[in-house]
Amino acid sequence: MTAVSPMAGGGAGPQNVFMDQFNLEARTQRVWDINHAIWFTLMGVGGGVFLAGRILNLTEGLGYVLGIPTVDVVSFLAIAVGGAILVADLGRPLQAWRAFVNVRTSWISWGAWSDLIFLVVAGLLVLPALSLGGSEPFSGLDWDPHGGDGGGLALEIIAGVAAVVVMTYAGAVLARPRAIPYWNSPAVPLQFLLSSAAMSVAVVMLIEVIAGEPVTAGQMVLLSVLTAGLLVTIVAHLLTRTGEPGKRESLERLLRGQYRGLFAGLVVAAGTGLPLVLAVVGAAASGARDALAVLCFLLLVPGGFWLRLLTLRVGIFPPVHIPGVGGSVATPAGG
Amino acid sequence: MTRWGMVIDAARCVGCQACTVACKTENQSPLDAWYAPVIEWEEGEFPDATLNYLPVLCNHCEDAPCVTACPSGALTRRDDGIVMADEDVCIGSRACMTACPYGALHFFEDRGTVAVEGAPAEAVPSVPERYAHQRHVRGAVSKCTYCAHKIDFGLENGLEVGVHPLATPACVVTCPAECRIFGDLDDPDSNVSQYLAEHGGGEALRPDAKTLPSTQYVGLP
Repeated sequence: MTAVSPMAGGGAGPQNVFMDQFNLEARTQRVWDINHAIWFTLMGVGGGVFLAGRILNLTEGLGYVLGIPTVDVVSFLAIAVGGAILVADLGRPLQAWRAFVNVRTSWISWGAWSDLIFLVVAGLLVLPALSLGGSEPFSGLDWDPHGGDGGGLALEIIAGVAAVVVMTYAGAVLARPRAIPYWNSPAVPLQFLLSSAAMSVAVVMLIEVIAGEPVTAGQMVLLSVLTAGLLVTIVAHLLTRTGEPGKRESLERLLRGQYRGLFAGLVVAAGTGLPLVLAVVGAAASGARDALAVLCFLLLVPGGFWLRLLTLRVGIFPPVHIPGVGGSVATPAGG
Repeated sequence: MTRWGMVIDAARCVGCQACTVACKTENQSPLDAWYAPVIEWEEGEFPDATLNYLPVLCNHCEDAPCVTACPSGALTRRDDGIVMADEDVCIGSRACMTACPYGALHFFEDRGTVAVEGAPAEAVPSVPERYAHQRHVRGAVSKCTYCAHKIDFGLENGLEVGVHPLATPACVVTCPAECRIFGDLDDPDSNVSQYLAEHGGGEALRPDAKTLPSTQYVGLP
């Protein structure tokens, strides 16, 4: 039994013989790590694949599992597994239902609701198509599982909106508080959204290739736009507020420190830049498009995961006080 | 309206860590969870080296990012400004810990062992009502409450909060250098307000976080 205490989370400097951890220095957050990176990635892919399948009109013709389009099954599985990982990582998993309570201010509550709404509504949408042992027990439900009528379209829109929130909220959770300057930026949720969208298009293209359907130039153009946007957002985030305490240390770790190779290699080069080049080539050259699509998938999904994991790992709290730099006058006393 | 707050005169701190231990004893915080540590650091080179001290604790912020981030509603801000953690409601998401700029929240991690032999898995241990604040839930987050149990006890029994030892946070009572002052920030005649007025107002830690803390500092190095 141990307790994780950020106040005691600094380096074990030699100054304090009584409790050697209480030193004035920037400290790295160690609260969220690989489980959260997997959760963020799966949620991004889950919401994104559902949307990409519909935007690219690829829900039909790419195979079915129990009568449900493969694209949707992948989406549901990703969100269900991501959610299960999140629940398992909670300190008190049996109390997980309480995550729905604080929708007034908490992005995690928004995320919990969007996950639930997505799974329920998207599940309802495809339910009429469910096939069990040769029969379709829910075929009497009065809507088109492909959104071809009013009821189906309404369900599709609600599920689509929920999917966008699912793709974005993890970034918003990180970006809202000011405690960690590297996270406190609109670039973080934007990166997560664009990365989720790019990974999802790549997953859908992979399903296409497996199903023997040709990847189109339009899909490659979409992928190149998304990866270009992601690259711009990553670079912009690296170039803003660079001298701010906390962010300075985060950038140091990403660009020159222990994560330099992983960030430059797996996230920027292999995970974003190379897929961008491949997508542009794929859009122009039809011959190798399927192979390029598979390559993009193999590069983008690990790149997206490492983007999230490194974002978490370079989350650094600046020192609570910087000697010589006066704090602002706090709220006035006496009312 | 009452807004409880603490002024810490960092220039008075002698680094004895009595507050750290008094808090630990009063609140029986989980292993390794220190609600009120004293940060210390060296400056300069021998023979002109100095040792600086900075007592820290929950800042009980008016715009508390932990309360905002908490999905379960376990973290709440009372009408008197004290930010409380209800460990029975906490789900252990630790969102508050990433949101707090001061590192004032502590996760009681369940590593599969029990604190007290034979204690139930969820709570350790069963304690009388008087010591309810000493009961901590594994898998949940706990924090400094400004010793809210003592404040409430004082108010119920007509004791002056911030003055009577039974109605004042343990860290304040025990400090030999009297570097901590506790009282009502909204009362211009209170000890904290008077102290702040004498020193030209208080300073906030991490002012960039814009949390409007009720723990304020004077004499920061």
